[in-house]
Amino acid sequence: MKINKFKKLVATVGAAALISTGLVVAVAAPAQAADPVCVTDAKSGTTTCNGVLTTGAAYKTMVPENFDGTFFFWQHGIRPSYPYPGYVVPKGVQQMAPAGAVDTSEAMLVKGYGIGAFDCQTSGLHGWNTADCVEMLNELVTITKARISIKKTVVYGSSMAGAVLTPFIEKYPNQADAVGILAGVTPTINNELKSACDMLYIYGVFFDPTIKGCTVMGTKGVAGHMAVLGDFAKVAALLTQWSADLGSKPLAYPAPLVGSGIPQRSAFLLAGLIAGIPTKSAHMDGISTSAVIPEQSINGTVAVLENTAELLGTGYFGGQAVSEVVGAGFYDNTKTDFASLLSDADLGRFNLGLSGDDAINAMLGVLAVYPRVTGDATAMAKVEALDMSKFDTAKPVILLSNEADRLVLPGNTTLYVNKAMAIYESRLAAWKKQYKAATTAKNVSALLKSKPVWNTVAMYAMTPETYTKFTATGAPNLAADRSPSGVGHESFTKEQLMTWVRLLASSAKTGRVPSRTVLSSYLERTPYLNTDLDYQATELKYEN
Amino acid sequence: MNLRKPLILTVVASALVGSLAISSVSTAVAGAPGVSASEIVLGMQLPETGPASPGYNKVDDAARAYFDYVNSKGGVYGRNIKLVVKDDTYKAGLTISTASKLINQDKIFAFFGSIGTQTHVSVIKDINRRKIPDIFVNSGYSSFYTDPKKYPTTFAGLGTYTVEAKILGKYLLEKYPDKTIGVLYQSDDFGRNALAGLATAGLKFEARKTSASFIAGTQGSLGLASQIGQLKANGVDIVIIAAVSSATAVAYATAAQLGYKPTKWAVISVGADATTFQTILGSKGVPAATSAAMLAGTISASHAPAPGELDDEYIAAFKKINDDFNKGADTRWDNNVLQGMNAAYLATSALMGVGKKLTRKKLISYLEKNGSKLSSAAFAPLGYSKNSHEAFTGFWLGEYDASTLLVPIDGKRVVYTTDSAGGAVTVSNYKRPAISADALPKVA
Repeated sequence: MKINKFKKLVATVGAAALISTGLVVAVAAPAQAADPVCVTDAKSGTTTCNGVLTTGAAYKTMVPENFDGTFFFWQHGIRPSYPYPGYVVPKGVQQMAPAGAVDTSEAMLVKGYGIGAFDCQTSGLHGWNTADCVEMLNELVTITKARISIKKTVVYGSSMAGAVLTPFIEKYPNQADAVGILAGVTPTINNELKSACDMLYIYGVFFDPTIKGCTVMGTKGVAGHMAVLGDFAKVAALLTQWSADLGSKPLAYPAPLVGSGIPQRSAFLLAGLIAGIPTKSAHMDGISTSAVIPEQSINGTVAVLENTAELLGTGYFGGQAVSEVVGAGFYDNTKTDFASLLSDADLGRFNLGLSGDDAINAMLGVLAVYPRVTGDATAMAKVEALDMSKFDTAKPVILLSNEADRLVLPGNTTLYVNKAMAIYESRLAAWKKQYKAATTAKNVSALLKSKPVWNTVAMYAMTPETYTKFTATGAPNLAADRSPSGVGHESFTKEQLMTWVRLLASSAKTGRVPSRTVLSSYLERTPYLNTDLDYQATELKYEN
Repeated sequence: MNLRKPLILTVVASALVGSLAISSVSTAVAGAPGVSASEIVLGMQLPETGPASPGYNKVDDAARAYFDYVNSKGGVYGRNIKLVVKDDTYKAGLTISTASKLINQDKIFAFFGSIGTQTHVSVIKDINRRKIPDIFVNSGYSSFYTDPKKYPTTFAGLGTYTVEAKILGKYLLEKYPDKTIGVLYQSDDFGRNALAGLATAGLKFEARKTSASFIAGTQGSLGLASQIGQLKANGVDIVIIAAVSSATAVAYATAAQLGYKPTKWAVISVGADATTFQTILGSKGVPAATSAAMLAGTISASHAPAPGELDDEYIAAFKKINDDFNKGADTRWDNNVLQGMNAAYLATSALMGVGKKLTRKKLISYLEKNGSKLSSAAFAPLGYSKNSHEAFTGFWLGEYDASTLLVPIDGKRVVYTTDSAGGAVTVSNYKRPAISADALPKVA
């Protein structure tokens, strides 16, 4: 049923009476099982529909009374299928729009946008079911368009959604007019997984040989989840210990480094830098110093510690979710050159935190000869091919990332832009060749209309320059207010999120991302959004 | 076959050309970032404050003094040179944020003379990605300059640590064949570079005996007693120091406390700045006369005349400009002032050399093609080419006298030259061109 008909029905029943009571009243029974149940809030005029996709997954749409024809479809991030400490498996549609500390759904409705979302679950389970999400999103868009008069469609989402929306728009290019990726994964997730697995492998080498890291992943179901939970607990215990002593104790593993005097924090920092964990965190700016944090690289080390503590659960159980799709043995480091994963900047800036060249060389020397993990070729091929995308959509794509996202590293956004740019430049070169060869006015005219346009924008939420707070003793105060911007995962201010939303709506209408001038004016008005349009976050350590 | 495009095509094409032409004109009017009809904006990062600032915080004022002098003479093709300076306190996190401000807020044309290896390594990749010229960096770390494919826009402002260490190492080996030579180095980029140069020169050290290292940045908090004690215990006669000046000061003070008197100290020049050395020891209560006496006899190197050589024509000219134009907090004439002014002289030369139509690309191209022909106060030529962005390829060796002036060993200045790789150390035959009467570069 189209919304206009729906509204007429409300009027027939007697809207005035409903409004006066302020009651939410069911206004239409579903015509068939797949039809949603819709209600209109008599006070706000917003019509909310709840339905079920053919997979059995719940979905929900909300259309404001002042609906302007632009509809946003939200794809949520990863939802591991089983609970773990600090995580409860969500049920049903829990998030209608981008949200962090704030929920933007109300603000979006006020703007006149329709919003929709669904619970991407398959057979009651979630996990890394991105391929299913693509089809479910398509179904939701299709049935909503059939029911509501939509002029422009935006598909947008966060985190894992990057690995859904990117292949989605390539498979169903006519289903959306703009794509928004918030703190999103740029396929394939294996880029980040490899780094996370490297980090856990290094923990096993330097801290606890019983840590299995990514080799513990791969068994399906509850049994696999429990196995991962056990390994997770070991690493969590280490992090707890380091939180107390800042990793000041000397290395107790491996044998060649016992007695070297290298503190655990240097090996921990090495692992973090090799994995590309941000050296800014919610409370640590990577700069400020005190009596307890005597040098900037120690501040950065605590930042890596704080980030790792926050990402550990999602990392472990996200990895397990991927392994349920691709099988055990997706991680292989037999050919990994760990030294090459440390950048010049890492070695220079964090030299003291790493305890200098001699310690770095000693640690890398151990890593070079330590027994490696041999993966399973089939699983490795599958994980590389996950959510494979071409990055060739002509539709506007707007990405928003935190400068120091601890989970989906901002390098994902850099990677997306670089991949899309490579396609754009290739198309432009081909177009120029065609234009040069054109011999008729008709051809020239057609070519001028089909000239490739750069239609991607990467936005970043930045941190203030400094924000670390210290206690009276000089210890970092991790209970103080978090950085107001730029840190955490999917953590943005309402202003930042709404700027992103408004730009998406505008791009959907015109088919083009805003000009640099328009974009700059938006960015300058939004606190902590980066106004440097040529900014690039640090690249991921692996980029396939 | 000669396909003639129909009239309508010609019209469309003409329109397109027209729009392109408008675009081009628009670009020309806008000019390169940081360049206007009246101004060229350069940006510099250095520790103006904080523990690493003594000495270094004079370099920018000296450079600005020379630019102000150039501006007083009409600038470069009518454009004044404006130097915007950001204090990164030698913390790389601030180097990153201040680089962003220089690029996006101050809209600089080029980075100029930025100071510090650890800090600059944190931004060099991004600066190069953006194709912004990064000229005359005050770091001797060879990896910034020896592979222009990696960092195509970065050009050195100092000779590399490797070149200097090769020259110093060869001299010490030949001069003191029977002495035990040891090294104290900071285990980072700087120390790594210097050790490579010393090894190329043929010096061999024994770990934990004649070779002592420390983690850069810990010299103040942890001290160097164990390292100096180790060198003393192993009978090291000649101690080479490859470390920053604050570490040199701690090493000398520690040796004095331990009663260790090596035959010679030989210090890589970055760590032997007399001003910094004396300022740091002064902050610990060591009188200037005492610190000067401690430094006396130390071997070090330079590519330029010592600041105390007042009869040198460049020194005389630069000192006069410093007296007349330096508005900094500490305008005392010393090596930091000389280096800042010499870098500004080189920058002026390069900007003049590019010509009126100044662009970033042209500046880089100019330096690669003609940079090696630019002259300065240095007694060694510049090594700029398409294959290398190294600056001064030679050094002369000297000893500090009682007044903290570095004077040529045996009273005769011999400039040695080599490269940052395996090339031989030879005596340079470079003849430094004279400075013009008005102390302005004469570049066609």
